[in-house]
Amino acid sequence: MSPTLLNFTGLGEKELAELDAACGWSLNIPELKEVQRYFKKAGRQPARGELETIAQTWSEHCKHKTFSGPVSFLNGKKTRKYRNLFKETIVKATRTLNKKWCLSVFTDNAGIVEFGSGGKWGLAFKAETHNHPCAVEPYGGAETGVGGVIRDILGVGLGAKPVLNTDNFCFGRLDDKRELPRNSHPPERIMRGVVEGVRDYGNRIGIPTASGGIYFDDGYLLNPLVYVGCAGLIPTDKIEKKVHPGDRIVSIGGRTGRDGIHGATFSSANIDEETSASAVQIGHAVNEKKALDALMRARDQGLYNAVTDCGAGGFSSAIGELGSKTGARVRLERALLKDTRIEPWEIWVSESQERMILSVPKAKLKRLEAVLKSESCEYCVLGEFPGDGRLVVTHGKEKVVDLPMSFLHGGVPNFEKPAVRRKVRISSGPPAAHAGYGLILKELLAHPNVCSRHSVITQYDHEVQGGTAIKPLQGRYGDGPGDATVICPRAATLDQDDYAGFAVTHGFGPGVGKIDPYQMALHSVDEAVRNLLCVGAEVSRTAILDNFCAASPRDPEVMGDLVLAAEGCHDAAMAYGAPFISGKDSFYNQAKDADGREYPIPISLLISATAPVPDVRKALTMNFKEPGNALYLAGLSRRGMGGSVYNDMSFSGNNLVSPLDMKAAVKLYAALLKAMRAGCVAAAHDVSQGGLGVTLAEMAFAGGFGARLDLAGAAAEKGLTRLELLFGESPARLVLEVIKEKETEFLRLVKGLPVTEIGYVSEDPVLDAAFGPERLFCEDINALKDRWKRELL
Amino acid sequence: MIIEIWTKKKYSANEETAFLGRLGRAGLKAGAARLSRLYRVDSALGRAEVEKLASGLLADPITENYSLVPGKTGFGGGWRVEVWLKDSVTDVVGESVKEAITGVLGKDPGAVRFGHAYYVACDSAVKLKHAVSKTLVNEIVNKFGIEKI
Repeated sequence: MSPTLLNFTGLGEKELAELDAACGWSLNIPELKEVQRYFKKAGRQPARGELETIAQTWSEHCKHKTFSGPVSFLNGKKTRKYRNLFKETIVKATRTLNKKWCLSVFTDNAGIVEFGSGGKWGLAFKAETHNHPCAVEPYGGAETGVGGVIRDILGVGLGAKPVLNTDNFCFGRLDDKRELPRNSHPPERIMRGVVEGVRDYGNRIGIPTASGGIYFDDGYLLNPLVYVGCAGLIPTDKIEKKVHPGDRIVSIGGRTGRDGIHGATFSSANIDEETSASAVQIGHAVNEKKALDALMRARDQGLYNAVTDCGAGGFSSAIGELGSKTGARVRLERALLKDTRIEPWEIWVSESQERMILSVPKAKLKRLEAVLKSESCEYCVLGEFPGDGRLVVTHGKEKVVDLPMSFLHGGVPNFEKPAVRRKVRISSGPPAAHAGYGLILKELLAHPNVCSRHSVITQYDHEVQGGTAIKPLQGRYGDGPGDATVICPRAATLDQDDYAGFAVTHGFGPGVGKIDPYQMALHSVDEAVRNLLCVGAEVSRTAILDNFCAASPRDPEVMGDLVLAAEGCHDAAMAYGAPFISGKDSFYNQAKDADGREYPIPISLLISATAPVPDVRKALTMNFKEPGNALYLAGLSRRGMGGSVYNDMSFSGNNLVSPLDMKAAVKLYAALLKAMRAGCVAAAHDVSQGGLGVTLAEMAFAGGFGARLDLAGAAAEKGLTRLELLFGESPARLVLEVIKEKETEFLRLVKGLPVTEIGYVSEDPVLDAAFGPERLFCEDINALKDRWKRELL
Repeated sequence: MIIEIWTKKKYSANEETAFLGRLGRAGLKAGAARLSRLYRVDSALGRAEVEKLASGLLADPITENYSLVPGKTGFGGGWRVEVWLKDSVTDVVGESVKEAITGVLGKDPGAVRFGHAYYVACDSAVKLKHAVSKTLVNEIVNKFGIEKI
C-alpha cells in the first residue's frame, strides 16, 4: 500500500484532492472527508479496494447525486428549495398518476408496464447514455453502451427477453472546420464509430435496432451524446426478485480484465486532455448472446432468486446492490480472468463487459451449471450472500474490502447545489424569410437535422426476430421517415395468433432548451406522444423514460436548466397521464481543451416513449396513400420560430418558443385516436423539425404522390406569418390523410377541435401550396426528395 | 501467417470511392485506393490448411480475392497502411474467426487477430499519416504502420 493510503485519515484537503485525482475517483472534498471520518471512527486506515468501492458506489453514475440531491433554485426574485429534485418532480408525477398498468417503476434496472391482454406479460423499457466512453473511443463506447442497456433488460426482475434496441445520437456538425483539441475526434469520425458500434453489437446479438434519431449541434462538437435503449418482454410472474441469505454469488458471461477500470467515476468528471484510456471498454456481442440464452433458460426453470447486470463499477456495484440487505462474502481469486496481471481491487471494480450476477440457491447450483455449460457460457461461483449485512471481499489471504452496507449505500453526504434561471433575451417580432418559400423548403430538407437518415438506418438489422411491424423507413419505396416503430414481439411470447404490439418513439428538442428548458420538456413529451399517435398507438397508455444530459452541475445556470426541465417533465407527465417508468442522467458533458476553454453541451432531454398497439395490422404509416383523399392539419399553429431548424439555418429575428397547450393537445389526440380506430385515417405524420412544409414534403415523396394545398383555412394564432405557418415548429400539430369515403365520420369525431382541411392528395408529383390567392410554392416532389436524401455517412 | 482478402476490381468501386471521400474530408487528395481485410493466425498450420481457410471460410469466391502473402493485391504504386487492434484490446472478430477455424479444421489455431490494410495512391506520406490518424485509427486502441509499395 502507498504511504499516502497508509496515512489516509491524516491527510489534509489538498492531499485528499491530489489523491483523488491520482486515483481517478471523482469524489469531492466533503465526500472524501466523510470517508476519512468513517475510518477514523473505525480506528484503521482503508484498503485501496475499500476506497475504490466507495468511489464507485458514490459516483454520479451509481448514486445520481445531482438529481437526487437538494437544490436551491433562484427564479427571478423567488427561491424554491428542493430536498430531492428527482423525487419532487419525475417520481412525484408517477406516484400521483399511480397507473395500475405500471408493474415496476424506479426500483429495478428498467421500468416495466403491462403488455397485451391477459396479464401474462410485462414490457421492460430502459434507455442509457454512454457519452464519455464514446468521446474517447466511439466504436467501443457505442458497442458497450448497447451491451450495457441490453444487460439492464436481462437484469430487470428475473430477466426480460430483449426485442428492440433504440439509438439516439447528438454530434457536432459534420462540416465544422474548427481546430479541435489534441485528444478529440472530428464529428464524422465519432459518428461513423458510434453508428458502427451500435450496428455491430445489435446485429451480432440478434436484436433489431429500429428506433432512433440523430441531432447535430455545435454544442456536441467535443461531447457527443449517445443514448441507447432496449425493450424486452418478461412474464409478469418473473418480476419479483429477492436475494436469500445463503444464496451463492454466481458470475456468468464474460471474463474480467483491466478494461473499463473507473468507468463509473469517469462519468463524474469533465473530459480533458488527460482523460485516461483505461476507461475504454470493449464489447463482445457473442458472449452476451450466450449469457442471454443461458439466462432465459435458467429463468424459466427457476434456477436463481435474483439477477442484476455488471455495469458501471463492475462486481463492486452489482454485488453491492444485490447484497445491500444481506451483505456479501466475495472471494476474488475465484473470478475468471482475461489477464492475470491484475490487482485484486481491479478485479473488484473492473467494468469488463457481458457479465451478469445471479443469486443462486445452493441446491440449484448444479442444475444451473448444466444449463450454462450447454450454452457454452462461462461462469464462476464468487461467494455467497451471508445475511450479516457486511461486505467482505478477499483475494486469497488479502482483505480487499470489509465495510458495512449501511455506510456504503447510506453514507454519501448530500449537499445543496445552487441553481439559477438562465437569462435569455426573447425577440417576438414578426420573423423574416431570407428567401422564397420553395427555396427555403429545399434548404430545410437538406439540413442535417431534417435530411434522410437512411445511410445510418439501413446499416442496422431492424428485421431480426421477425417482429418489426412498422419499420423506421416507410412508404412506397421504403425510405420515408417514420414517426414510431411498432413491434409485435412474438419471438418472446411465442404466440403466433396474437397481434398485440407496442410502439416506441422519442421526443428531443435541445434547440428549444437553449431558450426555455421548461418548454423543451413539454415539447419533447408532446412530440413523443404525438409520434405514438401517428402509428395509431393507445396514447392514453403512454409510458415514458427521461434521459437528461447536461454540462457541469457546478454551474448554477446548468442546474437551473435542469430544474426547469425536470419541472416540465412533471407537468407534462401529469397533463398527458404518461408516467415516467425509468430514467437516467449524465452530467459533466463538458470538455476542456489544452488552453483550458470549456465546451459545455446544451441541456439535452431525450424522452423515450412506448404505448400499446392492440392490433399491429391496423397500425398507420406516414406516406400519402391515395390521390383524392383529403388532407387535414390538426392542431393550432402558433407564433414563434424559437428552437426551429429554420432559425438554425438562418436566424429569422424571432426566437420566441411557441408555448404548448397540453390540455388542448390531450383532447385533440383522444379524438384523433378515435378517428384512427374508426378507420378514417390513411396516414398521419407529426409536424416537428422543419415545420409543416417539411411534414407535407415527407408525406408526399414517401408516398409518390403530390398534393394541392390551400393553407388559408388552417387553425392559426392571430398574427401568424406565412413563415411561421410553413416552417415554425409550434407543437401539438400533425397532418392527416383522411379516406374520402370516411370524411363525414372523421369530421363528426373531430367536431369543435382545431382540425381543418388544407387540401388533397394528387396524382401529379407536385407539392403545390397556396394561401388563398397567394401561391406559396410549387415544387416537384422528386426534386424535394433529392435534396432530402443526402448521404450522412 | 497473415491471410489478406480484398474485393475483386469489378465490385470494389463503391467502397473505394467512399474511402477516398473519407480521406478527402481529412485533407488528403488520393488518386486511387484499395481496401482489404487481414487475419493473422498465430499457429503453425500447413499451407493447404490455410488455403482451405482462406478459400472456404474467410473469402467469398464470387466477389473476393485472397493472398497468403500480405501486400500482393496487385495495387501498383503508393502506400500500404496496415491497422490492427493493440494486442491488449479484445478482438471480437478475431475470437469468432478462431472458433470458426476450430470448427473447420478440428483443431485450435491459437490466437487469431483481425485487421485492415488500406492501399492509397498519394504524394505525401505526411498528409497520409495525418489522414490515417484522423479517420482510420484511434491510437487508444489501434496500432498501425505505413509502408511504401
